Amino acid sequence: MHGDDTRPWTFYAFAAFFTLFVLFLYGPMIVIYILSFQGPNGGMTFPLNGVSLHWFSALVSQTRVGDIAGSFVRSIGLAAIVAVITVALSVLAGLAFRRRFRGSAFAFYLAIASLIMPGLFVGLGIALTFRLLGLPTEWFTTGLGAQLTWTLPFGLLIMFAVLGRFNRSYEEAAIDLGATNWQKVREVTLPILLPGIIGVALFGFTLSYDEIARTALAAGARNTLPLEIWAMTTNVTSPTLYAVGAVTTIVSFIVIILALGSIAIVQRRRAAAGMRTE
Amino acid sequence: MAIVNPAAEAFAASDRAEPEAVEYPGERASWLQVAPLVVVLLLFFGLPMLVVLAVSFFDFSRTEIIPAFIFDNYIELFRSEVTLRLYASSLKFAAIVWAVTLVLGFNIAYFLVFHVRGLLFQIGLFLLCTVPFLTSNIIRMISWIPFLGRNGIFNQALQGAGVTSQPLEFLLFSDFAVIVAYVHLFTLFMVVPIFNSMARIDKSLLEAARDAGAGRFRVVAEVVWPLSRTGIALGSIFVVTLVMGDSFVVRTMSGGQSASVVSALQNEVAALQYPPAAASAVIMVIIVTLMVAGILRVVDVRKELAG
Amino acid sequence: MAPSASAASGEVAVVGVTKRFGETTAVKDLSLTIPHGSYCCLLGPSGCGKTTILRMIAGHEKPTSGDVRIGGQSVLGLPQIERGTAMMFQSYALFPHRSVLDNVAFALKMRGASTADRHAKARELLTKVQLEKFADRLPAQLSGGQQQRVALARALITNPRVLLLDEPLSALDEYLRLRMRGELRRVQKELGITFVHVTHTQLEAIAVADTVVVMAQGHIEQAASARDIFVAPRNAYVARFVGGQNVLSGSVESAMNGVAAVAGKNGVRYAIPVGDLRPMRGSPLWGSIRRDRVAIEKIAPGAKPTTGLNAVVGEVHTLENQGSYVKVTLDLADSEEFVAHVADENFFAHPLDIGERVVARWSASDVKLLEDGPIAEERTPAGTAMATAG
Repeated sequence: MHGDDTRPWTFYAFAAFFTLFVLFLYGPMIVIYILSFQGPNGGMTFPLNGVSLHWFSALVSQTRVGDIAGSFVRSIGLAAIVAVITVALSVLAGLAFRRRFRGSAFAFYLAIASLIMPGLFVGLGIALTFRLLGLPTEWFTTGLGAQLTWTLPFGLLIMFAVLGRFNRSYEEAAIDLGATNWQKVREVTLPILLPGIIGVALFGFTLSYDEIARTALAAGARNTLPLEIWAMTTNVTSPTLYAVGAVTTIVSFIVIILALGSIAIVQRRRAAAGMRTE
Repeated sequence: MAIVNPAAEAFAASDRAEPEAVEYPGERASWLQVAPLVVVLLLFFGLPMLVVLAVSFFDFSRTEIIPAFIFDNYIELFRSEVTLRLYASSLKFAAIVWAVTLVLGFNIAYFLVFHVRGLLFQIGLFLLCTVPFLTSNIIRMISWIPFLGRNGIFNQALQGAGVTSQPLEFLLFSDFAVIVAYVHLFTLFMVVPIFNSMARIDKSLLEAARDAGAGRFRVVAEVVWPLSRTGIALGSIFVVTLVMGDSFVVRTMSGGQSASVVSALQNEVAALQYPPAAASAVIMVIIVTLMVAGILRVVDVRKELAG
Repeated sequence: MAPSASAASGEVAVVGVTKRFGETTAVKDLSLTIPHGSYCCLLGPSGCGKTTILRMIAGHEKPTSGDVRIGGQSVLGLPQIERGTAMMFQSYALFPHRSVLDNVAFALKMRGASTADRHAKARELLTKVQLEKFADRLPAQLSGGQQQRVALARALITNPRVLLLDEPLSALDEYLRLRMRGELRRVQKELGITFVHVTHTQLEAIAVADTVVVMAQGHIEQAASARDIFVAPRNAYVARFVGGQNVLSGSVESAMNGVAAVAGKNGVRYAIPVGDLRPMRGSPLWGSIRRDRVAIEKIAPGAKPTTGLNAVVGEVHTLENQGSYVKVTLDLADSEEFVAHVADENFFAHPLDIGERVVARWSASDVKLLEDGPIAEERTPAGTAMATAG
């Protein structure tokens, strides 16, 4: 790398480029958050006609906008369940792939295929399957299953990345010192993998919370929040939509900060640089 | 007369016992561990996909679908010129978005890996890019509407700065808006795999190239680009499948003017015309699989991912 | 026959062990006995199987066939707590998420000891390795040498009868390495338990071990005391690997009075003692001469050097100052490397130049026969190498 301290001109070019990209990523969202504070007589775009919380209160009061509260609660609950299941199944499967076993290629490609299959097809398939079986589609059964087809492969990929850096001699040392398999997993394997596991939980939650394509056809009668928002885009012409956007994003941010915060806490208690000896 | 040595026999037998266990130690444990995930995926992905395949051969009336084995749905698909137009539209979007996200993704990953110093900074900036991805896609998509609209920020800024006198119409509810939204949503899928690949490049390779006289650009072309191939392939697979499989973005951002294969499919589903929708899905899957296989010929992704 | 070892004994016996990994055979029918309380080094290049043997004694690998016994009793398949072994890993493998104290106390925690008890014992051990002040630090905050002492303490807390060390010194820099050698030796003598130490560094093995086992490609080439490995290598492989010897080779011309005259390449001739053995004319024969038993003589200009069977003429190829001696490498006509260690005062009194022609001379009684070639069959084959106590 560049040994000296002075930076080449390309650094500044790249940095400017990067800054533009970040603005590109965050700019529109910030616009919406600002607009959500639109005055009661304001429209869907600028200028801001006064500043108020009018549209936020409209969220809770007006039922015309749809079942916001209900779908919100459903989405949070569903996301929590998806996160737990994703962590459990992805961690287990990730550990399985540390060894060679027959059928590992099948499992791997099954997960990859599930990842890149367009969500609507998966939802369509689930809806058709359950229809042919005569079973109803519900957000907590088929909706859950549909979302797992998206979060499980992600979780598996994250576990691959985490386990790739995991040094197996920690586990061997634990066994050498007399640990049973269960003690080894509890005292050494899981604690060291904890940041990765939190990452899987984070992705499991947020991917479920924001998921729309797969859930669209598999959710059944009761919508999740993204489906409610989607319905709103076609028939709501007031900044209430932006208020919804702001609220749902705040929830996402809270979850992200919780997850990243706990990872930071775990790492600090461990001086992360010490994962390797020199 | 052969003399049989019982000890030798015993030895040979124990050698032969369970050769597969020696070949694949711990295999049973792995099977148990991977089973739950595989079962869930088979149940909610494998089986439904087979059902879609089956239904694509079904007959249908206005009220129900009728189990059968007919090719009518496929024939309709191939005969209709709407299909061609839809695929042309989807492929056009896929190609443009792929190119733009590749340029963006490569440069951003390059910046993060080779120009940012300090692990903490790298992680911090990387998180900065990733966090929007973890918020609602829909919201991020529609947030472009007040931005690009006739009275939107962008037009107001342009007019305020005196660059234009009239609002630019093409910004919203157009192919341009669709592409902007796709790029906004999916660039991260390019950045992450390329970042991963680049981070694994041994920095001393670049120094060796500089040492041999390569200028900055040649170093990138000769060393960085080839060694990031896996990441680029992975990112391309993600972006292409996401664009081809989308219906929400193209509906909203084009204002209904453009369509994609999947958005047309969504219409059919809404009209309860499941068999044609299923046939359309099957064809789409075949085509996308061919595209992915084409990308995979370049690189062995499994080795990169699962070690 | 030695009296049967008691259960508490730390005698390690590897009996007819073979280990295959898929297509490759890492260890071939290897047998080795390490006496209780001795320090044994397994020495060899990478891939020779020494680490595999160590891990089989530790129970981290299972032999494809054969047995591993400690204290006379087979330990195959026994859970760790009953084996009586403890291992020091090459990378130390200190748990990064636990303090030094918790690391050392870990084995006791696995056996259900109370927190107070195991912390007290751990502190005792940390005091022994002079790290009691670091008890509450994380491993990442310690230097390499300190981490090693923690790894040692952690392994010793269970009072194992055998300590297994996997290249314990290779992660340290040279200075620490030389210091820690003595430490390991001292600890072993104090504890009186069996140490099995894997290394690829010849001088390290000779420095610490009672017994050195030189391995190559899955089998034992020679197992002998450290001294014997150096002064009496069994064959050319050991002689070359351990260093300190020159290997002389050629085909037999004649044998008389226990000495064979051997013709090497390009007219070089050597005398190699063969004792009672009668090598056939024309058969290949190998011998070794210690590098520090070779004297170098300058050739006076115009003089014709007298050679004979215990001297060769060659060109100085490289010179390497090693402090108390200078390593002089000669280019002989027969392309085998020939090295003389010349004491530093002697060298600098009459320095040599690169390219200079000199005579290397030694005394016939310093040459030893090597067990290579047809002559090896006349000796008892070393199928089972018994490691001798130091």
